[in-house]
Amino acid sequence: MSQIETLSLIHEIESLISDQLQVVSYKWLSRNYQISSDEAKRLLHEFVEKHEGGLEVVYALSGWLKSTHRSYHIRLVTGPKLAEAQNDFDGNCSVQVYSVQPSIPKDPAVLWNAEFIQAEELSKQPSSVDNCLRDNRFCGISNTFVRRNVDGQPAVSATPQIKSVVGLGSTKSNVVQPPPKNIAHNSIAKVDLKSQNVVKDVKSESNGTGNTVVHENINKPTAEKEKSLLLPTGKKKVQADKNGSATGGSLASFWGRPSAKPKPCSVPAENSNTISNPSATEKAQTCANEAEADSDDDNQGVLLRRSSNRKRRVVFDLSDEDEDVVNLASPEVPSKQSSQDSKQNDKNLLEKEPLNFDLPVEIKPLVKEERVEKKVFQPPREDLSVITKCTTAGKSSTEKLQSSAPEICVNKDSVKMAAPDSTKRRKVMKTRIDERGREVTDVFWEGEEIEAKKADMVTAKKADTVTAKKTDTVAKKADNNGSTNAVNSAPATKKPPATGKGGSKKALNSKDPKQGNLLSFFKKV
Amino acid sequence: MLELRLVQGSLLKKVLESIKELVTDANFDCSSTGFSLQAMDSSHVALVALLLRSEGFEHYRCDRNLSMGMNLNNMAKMLKCAGNDDIITIKADDGSDTVTFMFESPTQDKISDFEMKLMDIDSEHLGIPEAEYHAIVRMPSAEFARICKDLSSIGDTVVISVTKEGVKFSTKGDIGSANIVCRQNTTVDKPDDATVIEMNEPVALQFALRYMNSFTKATPLSNTVTISLSNELPVVVEYKIAEMGYVRFYLAPKIEEDEEETKPEV
Repeated sequence: MSQIETLSLIHEIESLISDQLQVVSYKWLSRNYQISSDEAKRLLHEFVEKHEGGLEVVYALSGWLKSTHRSYHIRLVTGPKLAEAQNDFDGNCSVQVYSVQPSIPKDPAVLWNAEFIQAEELSKQPSSVDNCLRDNRFCGISNTFVRRNVDGQPAVSATPQIKSVVGLGSTKSNVVQPPPKNIAHNSIAKVDLKSQNVVKDVKSESNGTGNTVVHENINKPTAEKEKSLLLPTGKKKVQADKNGSATGGSLASFWGRPSAKPKPCSVPAENSNTISNPSATEKAQTCANEAEADSDDDNQGVLLRRSSNRKRRVVFDLSDEDEDVVNLASPEVPSKQSSQDSKQNDKNLLEKEPLNFDLPVEIKPLVKEERVEKKVFQPPREDLSVITKCTTAGKSSTEKLQSSAPEICVNKDSVKMAAPDSTKRRKVMKTRIDERGREVTDVFWEGEEIEAKKADMVTAKKADTVTAKKTDTVAKKADNNGSTNAVNSAPATKKPPATGKGGSKKALNSKDPKQGNLLSFFKKV
Repeated sequence: MLELRLVQGSLLKKVLESIKELVTDANFDCSSTGFSLQAMDSSHVALVALLLRSEGFEHYRCDRNLSMGMNLNNMAKMLKCAGNDDIITIKADDGSDTVTFMFESPTQDKISDFEMKLMDIDSEHLGIPEAEYHAIVRMPSAEFARICKDLSSIGDTVVISVTKEGVKFSTKGDIGSANIVCRQNTTVDKPDDATVIEMNEPVALQFALRYMNSFTKATPLSNTVTISLSNELPVVVEYKIAEMGYVRFYLAPKIEEDEEETKPEV
């Protein structure tokens, strides 16, 4: 970069900071002016050297800690504390300017707010547009294993590392899952024969088996099933493309609409992704950033928000023919996890982002360990926190797999609760991205009328949206109440049907096909 | 500029109590003729229509037609702060996004001002045609409320059938069934206690009791209730508001398919 450009940029930085009082971080700088992150850091450094007064600098220190637990550490410190912080590090640590701002914000979230908004805008651009976020061109680290294809969808050739992280989930859920499912389907078919009465309902419910997306029809060929299976797991692009080879282009249509799909399902997987594979897609990073930013929206809401990002899943226990379990769990696990994560995040928050850029090779073993720890840690917690009863042997494996991504449980207690009304309706989730970029999952009951339309998936989806709109507010409310902890909100929504009367009026229309509608009598003016 | 002074403030309190369960948000329309509201419940099964004619107010000033979106629960909260004998004045400025409720104690020694934020509500206004109803039943409102309450403990729906003999309310549930017949009875001391049935043709319609029960929240407004039924129309349950208007509830009937199984409404 020529001296002149540097100078003009430095002037711009100055005006940004002094006039617009903006936090200028190297990341933001890099993306905004299309310069590499190293260049951006250098610029900031130069800028800081030139303008010593009237601004605050946040440095990113990285190196090995002196303490007994030798660990690689990345720390954001303010200018005055720089020397002190440097003492904590063993030997040399790298000191880079992280951001420059007129004053140190009270809320650390402000530090990355600007770049979050920027990342959001970039990721909102149509997928055909090749922007710096998508191709990750300014990332300080490059990984030859990660390739980016034309439409900005990251294609990842299977590195051993990734395989162990995500591949476990993806391949298994792909390959292992179908068999038990088929068994389940068969049993359903039998049920169908046995009791004509329930056929419809059973069918509709079985649709949801193991699918996050409930609209999938059971009768569809396996390929389709696989597709639906992919949906939940396919959130991570890394995975997505790996699986993509099996189902080909049709899947791309799902992933082509990033806004329509839920965000990363499991925090741990996600985090380990970002950490363990520093060059992992910028997308993943963005997600992480979003998650972080989300949690920072409101300091108190860290926990809740994060858990609201979790997806809920319906799992149907088909082991008992009489009782169709419709349990909507979204369960403890993630929220606990997220609480842990967020705790960790609080600590690591600052470290994490720079990690992507500054991570030296030595980090890997350590991070791996961390990841493994998480991985190992998860299943038991799952078992503890959720009263999960896996009745079918086949299912249990399925379930575990699924649980590693989002969360599910088959709760016996709720079986009884849900059983009486299972003949009429079923719970349907609609996930959408709200105007602030957060994911909102609405839970509502879908009635028979809507079901009838189900043959046609598209209409079904439409209908869902319509119904979703109605219940939206309710769900939203629940979400806002901090009952994002879905365990709370799920039973809450479940109650009306269970008690029969006294249910919310909103549900009435869809649940009672016999109830007439005023609109069929009176015309709108 | 809008200024409505209602001496009998308790009426407004009762009105709100009667409709807030059914409708959460609604637009109040003010015109020179009166203060009105029409809103459907969220499932579009029931509709409430309220009219308070301008003559009923001690002072009624409405310079131009005004529609004020209010959350009825919030409005009820504010009105609860008014004493039963208080005079309530509703005030709003043109283009303002708030409405003010002023409560004056009967002795004029306490005056409270409550300002409430208005909201934008997309309301679907329905045109309700004037119709000849096959049967009109007028009965004590407390009696009707009692019947609805009793029946709802047994079943979820009520079949209201009107014949020359009287009006029959029947329900069926898991534990059994119930029939309540009210005969025409005009020979009472007080006209309010009378049960009057005007019938052109026999009618039998089925309704969700849940809605009926929420209509009966308007019982304090009036001693009598008028139920108008026609086979092809929603039932109208009307409570008159002393000399100045009414609250009418419309409820779409249940479509009868097979009567033999009164499925428990899930």
